[in-house]
Amino acid sequence: MYRSVARGGGALTLGLMGLIGLFLTVRSWKALHAAGLGFFTRSAWQPSFGQFGVWSALLGTVIIAVIALVIAVPVAICTALFVTEYAPPRLRRPLTSFVDVLAAVPSLIYGLWGRFFLQPRAIYLSRFLGTHFGFIPFFHTKEAGSVASYPASTFIAGIVVALMIVPICTAVMREVFSQAPPGEKEGALALGGTKLGVIRSVVLPFGKGGIIGGSMLGLGRALGETIAVTLIISPVFDPHSLTHVLQTGGNSIASLIALRFSESNEFGISALMAAGLTLFVLTLIVNAIASAVVARSRSGAATEI
Amino acid sequence: MTSSETIDLVEDRALDPVGLGSGLTARQVSAWFGEHKVLDRVTLAMPPNQVTALIGPSGCGKSTFLRILNRMHELVPGATLSGTVAINDIDIYRSGLLVTDVRRRIGMVFQKPNPFPAMSVAENVLSGLKLSRHRSRRHDPADLVERCLRRAGLWNEVKQRLGTPGGALSGGQQQRLCIARALAVQPEILLMDEPCSALDPTSTRRIEETIAELREQVTIVIVTHNMQQAQRVSQYCAFFLAEENAPGRIVEQGPTDKIFSAPDDPRTFDYVSGQFG
Repeated sequence: MYRSVARGGGALTLGLMGLIGLFLTVRSWKALHAAGLGFFTRSAWQPSFGQFGVWSALLGTVIIAVIALVIAVPVAICTALFVTEYAPPRLRRPLTSFVDVLAAVPSLIYGLWGRFFLQPRAIYLSRFLGTHFGFIPFFHTKEAGSVASYPASTFIAGIVVALMIVPICTAVMREVFSQAPPGEKEGALALGGTKLGVIRSVVLPFGKGGIIGGSMLGLGRALGETIAVTLIISPVFDPHSLTHVLQTGGNSIASLIALRFSESNEFGISALMAAGLTLFVLTLIVNAIASAVVARSRSGAATEI
Repeated sequence: MTSSETIDLVEDRALDPVGLGSGLTARQVSAWFGEHKVLDRVTLAMPPNQVTALIGPSGCGKSTFLRILNRMHELVPGATLSGTVAINDIDIYRSGLLVTDVRRRIGMVFQKPNPFPAMSVAENVLSGLKLSRHRSRRHDPADLVERCLRRAGLWNEVKQRLGTPGGALSGGQQQRLCIARALAVQPEILLMDEPCSALDPTSTRRIEETIAELREQVTIVIVTHNMQQAQRVSQYCAFFLAEENAPGRIVEQGPTDKIFSAPDDPRTFDYVSGQFG
């Protein structure tokens, strides 16, 4: 009985995923057929003129996600280590639930906060990076000295998405770190190890799977994040300017769909479906890689807990 | 072990201000977990270059006492203690003494082998040096790995596979790897908490041989439930006992021969002759 329910549930989930994929493929067929492989290489998005491609939106999505991960993963690792290793025991529980509450805040709230609180302040950081590190291709900015070059950028969207995914990354990592084998930790301490030494020799090696898993979960969220990104970026379709992450203008598949959905005709919708299908496949690939990596790193598998 | 190695080690020690043969002295040590008192005024001298065995039934505070000797006791939330523990007349609980230095000088081997599973055999041996940031300037690491593994009686079994993960060794080999790891930081004293209780008789014999050889350089304190083992490896013996609803204390201590052949206290006689416990 239990087995058949479990089996049914598993089959339902798989079936649902297949149906979503099928639905997206069918609905996007018209646009994909019209655009051909050029759909993946073209940048402009003007379906009414037959000129449309997902390239700039895809690139923008990936860049935002990468920026978010670069910021969020170190923060999440440090937070998780603080909660499990450094915080006084009676603070651990409140801190844990606090992080979990942060994970439950709707992304719209993060978006509003990012737009109206963070952005006016973060542009000064952008300007600092743009003027002092402009020689790095990614940070190159036109008119680097002026604050007006920096709002609504990919970089700021990346920061906001980073803040959104920190809680979920932290939750996964904290869970794994807290299971680091006490016997090995004692062994490290008995050798004269400092707390940092214990973390480096026991907790981090044991938690490697959790770090990767948490990051990939965050990446999945970052790729699909819609509303926070939509609120912040002003869309551009020029892939070259997209790679200059500090300056105004960004793009992402999810925000493209959200922005254009209400103003599209039937063919335009089909094109947006094709963009959605691209995002769907991208997240599937990311998750497949993530589970493969996690399975291979077999965190602490050599240790009996 | 060859004689050249022994000389080498003596030279190493000459660099250490403490020198050869450190003794450990506990005076009036009492310990609590929260409100619960587990040890009552234990006084014990653990003489240099001797093996001191702590024997007694389960729950009598032997392991707690051992963990007090290298300041591992304080890691348990709510654990407190009174009394003093001194290594060569230096109080290890004195303020201003780094707890990491104390633990480096007083090494420990645990009941359950706990090598770092992801590190290779060689990395495991060297891990203590990295952890305590006492990088050895004089030694070639490969040489140190070999000497420590030889002293722990493991070299011949692992010399072909120093790169394999520590977690891939057998239980007995893992325990000897833990001994090698503890020796690499050149402790003056080595505490062993039932090091053979999870091992088969062959591994147990290897470790007992290792203990007998190590005694030349390090002072050893061993907790054991095995009376024959206490007789075989130790020169000095302390019998712990916790009577009903009372904290553990030392009933009798003395040379191992005397404890096992002609103990003063009838309770000691009952225990060592297998009447109870």
